[in-house]
Amino acid sequence: MGRSADHMTSVGSVPDKPRPDQLRTDQSGDSMTSSSRSLRKRMALPAIAIGAIAFLSACADDAPQDTFQPAGENARKIDNLQRPPFYIAGIVLVIVSVAVLYCVIKFKDRGQALPKQTHGKPVLEIALTILPALILIGIGIPTVSTVFQLAKTSDTECIINVTGQQWWWEYDYPVQDGCGGVTEPIVTSGQMVFPADEKVLLRITSRDVIHSFWIPKLNGKKDAVPGRVHTLRMEADQPGIYAGQCTEFCGLSHAYMRMEAVALDDAGFETWKANELEAYTSPTDEAALTGESTFLANCSRCHQVNGVEDANGDPVISRPDLYVYSGAAPNLTNLMMRNTFAGAAYDLITQECRDRIWSLPPDEFTAAYLEGVTPECLDAVQLREWLRNSPAKKPMYTETDKLGPTDEKTRGMPNLNLSEDQIDEIIAYLSERK
Amino acid sequence: MFTTGSKLLLGATALSVIGTIVYGIAVGGATGTLGLVAVSIAFAFLAGINLWVRDSNVSAMDTAGIETCAAANEPTETSMWPVVAGLGLALVPVGLVAGFAIAWMAVIVLLVVTVEWMVLSWSDRASGDPAYNASIRKRIMHPMELPILGAVGLGVVIFSFSRIMLYKPGNAGMVIFSGVASAVLLFGALIAAKRNVGKALVSSLCSVGAVALLGAGVATALDGGHEIKKHEVIGDDNTCGEEITEADHDPTRAIAAKANLAATIILENGQLRAEIIGIAGNPSAVSLLRSNDNFVKFKNLDDGDFRLTAYLGDEKLNAGTDTEVVVEQIVCTQAVTEGGTQFVVIKPPLPSFAAAEDAPFQFTVPGVETAVLSIEVP
Repeated sequence: MGRSADHMTSVGSVPDKPRPDQLRTDQSGDSMTSSSRSLRKRMALPAIAIGAIAFLSACADDAPQDTFQPAGENARKIDNLQRPPFYIAGIVLVIVSVAVLYCVIKFKDRGQALPKQTHGKPVLEIALTILPALILIGIGIPTVSTVFQLAKTSDTECIINVTGQQWWWEYDYPVQDGCGGVTEPIVTSGQMVFPADEKVLLRITSRDVIHSFWIPKLNGKKDAVPGRVHTLRMEADQPGIYAGQCTEFCGLSHAYMRMEAVALDDAGFETWKANELEAYTSPTDEAALTGESTFLANCSRCHQVNGVEDANGDPVISRPDLYVYSGAAPNLTNLMMRNTFAGAAYDLITQECRDRIWSLPPDEFTAAYLEGVTPECLDAVQLREWLRNSPAKKPMYTETDKLGPTDEKTRGMPNLNLSEDQIDEIIAYLSERK
Repeated sequence: MFTTGSKLLLGATALSVIGTIVYGIAVGGATGTLGLVAVSIAFAFLAGINLWVRDSNVSAMDTAGIETCAAANEPTETSMWPVVAGLGLALVPVGLVAGFAIAWMAVIVLLVVTVEWMVLSWSDRASGDPAYNASIRKRIMHPMELPILGAVGLGVVIFSFSRIMLYKPGNAGMVIFSGVASAVLLFGALIAAKRNVGKALVSSLCSVGAVALLGAGVATALDGGHEIKKHEVIGDDNTCGEEITEADHDPTRAIAAKANLAATIILENGQLRAEIIGIAGNPSAVSLLRSNDNFVKFKNLDDGDFRLTAYLGDEKLNAGTDTEVVVEQIVCTQAVTEGGTQFVVIKPPLPSFAAAEDAPFQFTVPGVETAVLSIEVP
């Protein structure tokens, strides 16, 4: 850099030849230069203010999907990989920015002659080729190593099948020895429950288009591709809720296709499993009982509640494959054990309860979560709006006169035109589903 | 009487007429005959024009003209077109007898000869400067010749390659071309190392290689490559019962490189076991997604022809009506012989808890009572 610094020094002090514009004597050139300078000065302050606002707004206090706050082993590996290059890149950015600013200010066009032009600095060019190559090699080696570490799935202890469809996530727990033993398949949606501090294998696929599963605090992204099964290992250090969302554009409500991973302690997870496999009991409350009939008449053709029977005593089996393009609809068996609905886009609980649950320390979280949605915490407003007109809450492809391309099947839940009484009854019934 | 330039056209006209007559009598067919008639008329027209304008005509008594006229000069270069024309003419009757492909090839050859020879003859007599004559010939013909020759040459090379590769099954083609590629690499390295290798030597070697490739391609094409059996991935005989009427004896080639299967179900020693991506060991039940295409591969390691069957419950059609019908949901693979594999796509419409207690969802192999594996559909 010494030689180039000398060269730069020579620019300001040894004018070699007059510049073409110095031969011009037009006075209007001078007035134009001064007016453009004052314009730049006037714009500088707002530009700096906007930049500062944008920069400072990135410092969010509450960022549930902050990838820089890893809460699991795999996320930590990714974080450990990205931080050093981030810092190095930051330092390089500062150096380059300072150098550019220095040159811009120090050697600003003040009418001085053009400096002597030189061509090529072999030593500098070679050095500036080798240095980035070395940096890339330095980044590449740990990157490849981390990739292989993240791909390892042979040490997992619990298997969950994750299926994406427009626009929600389904989680089913196949019969297995892992997860503390699962004797019957469990299916749920929106919130994926798993044991904390245990390596979980997610087998991810899709029923329709390509989606992508991402819980930033726990792991990187993995695409859900129809016809393929992609494995992803995940682990949470402590009990808690971890937010995520679909990260592959999948249609109208891609932005509303959220997910939450709920890590419970071992005992809590066993309790949750047992609860999921509990036999269905008909409601005793009159309103809920009426709601059961209303649910069966309006909702059960797509939404399954395990164990519910019709008037003849036969199990009611939903057939979403006949009405929904993806062939599935969320299982609502224990809806009130979850905090969210509609693809985790909306809360079943009030904001106050949500803030409380989300901020609980790990040792208190499991018990609070297993309470489910209590009557005091139930946010019936959101649920009511959804039942009143779901496409208005979440854009979906449900207009009956436009279903030709999807064989007359909807993508998402249509507006069922329920009356307010019906909505009340259904909410009363669903409130007992836990 | 006949000018130089018109002699060719008159000959072409005569040959076209003869060809028309021969074709019309020997083969018949309105299209071909009409085509040859049109060619005859075209040549006759050109010949007549040429005769009328006395093009390229030099009086035999004008000795000075004979010596100075460019048209009377020797052509600047030897021409292969008379030989090619003879070849084309010889192929015409051969093609009429042996097959239309050869006949059409002969016609194309003759058309090419006509155009090339005419242009060559014209350019050779355009001026007294041979170099200039050559340049104008190239200027006219190269925009046509080079793309066509390039495409034809590439096609011949590709076709020859493909015939050689298809000649023998298995890895024979790979072995052959590995050797050829190594020889080409060695040859190129030697040329690069020895800077004073003659152009003629290189051209000769390349010509030998090209002829060898062409010859091998023609020979293997005539021999007619090995048989490629077509196998259905899913299979035709899917009656799903115990009776096996047809088994796929070489099904492995039909299996595409499916990256991800829901499960691989293996029949071995009268037992079914499953291999599932991400799950260690052999799970006791296979979990399949409801209302989703689940790709399942069946592999038969037992002696005999067997198929894999998946029972997915009973579905009531027109439930609650007088026409209610209970339909068994069964899918199966085609029977495969020992060592064979077949696919089945399973799309369970019902969850497994909808199954009757005495009729759970399961994989079975008809004829093998012990081969049973549970299916779980959440």
